[in-house]
Amino acid sequence: MLSMTNISKVFQTDEIQTHALRDFSLQVNEGDFVSVTGPSGSGKTTFLNIAGLLETFTSGSFLLDDINVSGLNDKQRSRFRNEKIGFIFQSFNLIPDLNLFDNVDVPLRYLGLKGKERKERIEHHLDMVGLASRMKHLPSQLSGGQQQRVAIARALATHPRFLLADEPTGNLDTHMAQSVMSLLEDINTKGTTIIMVTHDNELAKRASRKIQIKDGRVSELDKVIDHDIDVSPQAIA
Amino acid sequence: MFFYYLRMAKISMVKHWGLSLLMILAIGLGIGAAMTTITVNYMMSANPIPHKSNQLFNVQLDSWDVNEPYFDDGRPPAQLTYRDAMALMDARKAMRQTVQSQANAVIEPEGDDSIPFQVSARANSADFFTMFDVPFIYGGPWTRQADESKEQVVVINSEINQRVFGGENSVGQTLKIAGFYYKVVGVIDYWNPLPRFYDISTGAFNETEEIFVPFSMIAEEKINRSGNTNCWKPSGDGFEAFLNSECVWTQFWVELPDNQAWQEYNDFLTAYVQQQKAIGRFERPLNNRLLNVMQWLESMEVVEDDAVMMMAMSLMFLLVCLLNTVGLLLAKFLGKSGEIGIRQALGASRRDLFYQYLVESGCIGVAGGLLGLLFAYLGLQGIDSLYGEMTRGLTELDATLVLSAIALAILSSLAAGLYPTWQASKVQPSQQLKSQ
Repeated sequence: MLSMTNISKVFQTDEIQTHALRDFSLQVNEGDFVSVTGPSGSGKTTFLNIAGLLETFTSGSFLLDDINVSGLNDKQRSRFRNEKIGFIFQSFNLIPDLNLFDNVDVPLRYLGLKGKERKERIEHHLDMVGLASRMKHLPSQLSGGQQQRVAIARALATHPRFLLADEPTGNLDTHMAQSVMSLLEDINTKGTTIIMVTHDNELAKRASRKIQIKDGRVSELDKVIDHDIDVSPQAIA
Repeated sequence: MFFYYLRMAKISMVKHWGLSLLMILAIGLGIGAAMTTITVNYMMSANPIPHKSNQLFNVQLDSWDVNEPYFDDGRPPAQLTYRDAMALMDARKAMRQTVQSQANAVIEPEGDDSIPFQVSARANSADFFTMFDVPFIYGGPWTRQADESKEQVVVINSEINQRVFGGENSVGQTLKIAGFYYKVVGVIDYWNPLPRFYDISTGAFNETEEIFVPFSMIAEEKINRSGNTNCWKPSGDGFEAFLNSECVWTQFWVELPDNQAWQEYNDFLTAYVQQQKAIGRFERPLNNRLLNVMQWLESMEVVEDDAVMMMAMSLMFLLVCLLNTVGLLLAKFLGKSGEIGIRQALGASRRDLFYQYLVESGCIGVAGGLLGLLFAYLGLQGIDSLYGEMTRGLTELDATLVLSAIALAILSSLAAGLYPTWQASKVQPSQQLKSQ
């Protein structure tokens, strides 16, 4: 479903060449809940950006739903992102000028849905995260945990197959973090594949698969629950 | 998506109202200044009789001094001598023709308590009214026969008709003008060709005359001619000598229906000049001009150089305002890098973002255009109050100009928005999302 083989990502400036990912190989299957840990600067976010088609890679092969994404143009990548991938960020990344309804509406607009269906989806997903009564509020009027719930509602509104979460609990207190984590687990049980980058080992352990990235490589695979894990030399690299 | 983009633009403009107001103000000032001068130039260079301007021709003959051209660039005099004008009239080679001159007179209304008053007048031939499509309320033009038999007939405008006859149908009434009685044959409706192409020697933007009498009244000395007179040698003593002099003071127009008629009339003019050369006149090289209305206005440089220069300067000012707007839009859109990154992550393509921010630029343009119209109106009122009669009819915004202002504002703001929008759509989402 998500297959990265020998992916390399090099950031080039005039004088410095930085290898963010080196021969990075990973396969994620449908329904997986993969946690990604690793020290700062190890390449976790770069991996997530490439997986979310927000960034291109320097070499290697990346298949998403059996489609080679390196051949897609901007419009196709945007469409792919819109239809198949949901994002959750550490800093929530809600649009501050828009109320909750309009924030959740953003990806649905690009999906091209009719007004009635958009409204139903927005209300349903805000209800799912317990914020239906506050849909006319601005993000600044919510707590951090509530904002992250809105971000989750927005990510799920397009019914994505992948949910990419970059430190989704990083800005939340323990209680809120547990709450958001439970929500993600619930979402995963309903079939959405989740890849979550986190610094928190306790949260990482709750994922069905745990990988660690170090110096741009997948350095460790930890099978937490019984899942098919690619342990080929390429994947471990 | 257009209406969604419109709503996003509204939210953005309200949220960042200070920056939006600055941009609207910049575009408004630029559009206002540009539209003020464009309006004046547009009115100056308008076709005053569009449906037949290609069939009406002003006649110019070079009867001027052999040692010195009339105009430095070699153009012949803008007017004809009386003797040449009368010779052309007598020949009647065109479908219609009129000789004319500006005049002035005093009207002496009937009644003991009526006070005489001065009016502007035009002495012209019968064809004048038909050639120039002068609209009549009552009656009509006098006949060619009236011209030839030097009848004392008059056509008056509606204001004089109101003043002297109370607005009633005055056809058949008599009017005492400069001591002579004239029979009213027609009352004309409001008629205000702009520029006043048929006689620009005394100002292309002056009012049309209040009364019209046969041209023969000047030679009969029953009405005083006025207007521009130029002589290159002494005119001699007495009015008869003046009429036979080389002084130019009459305007001569012909109506020619097609190219063949134009060619034939041009040949006729050439033959006339050759004939005059044979008797010792027209010593300068053959230099006849037979220009249609728009060629004539262009030749006489009706649009003042100052006005053109002002327009060029105001367009440069608009450019400066737009460059300011580019800077402000760039600041605004790049300030939205975070939002742009989020939208990209959620599925917006660069094209989507480009359109969204272009719509916002267009909205700023529309608002700027409306403000610009207000500024243009105030600017034109300012010109009107400064120059008064000199700019009569030049300071009015019509529907074309209003639409042009809006179109100019939208196009300008879209042009100003292109670079910032392009830059905004190039934002790398991955860099923005982490730094939010």
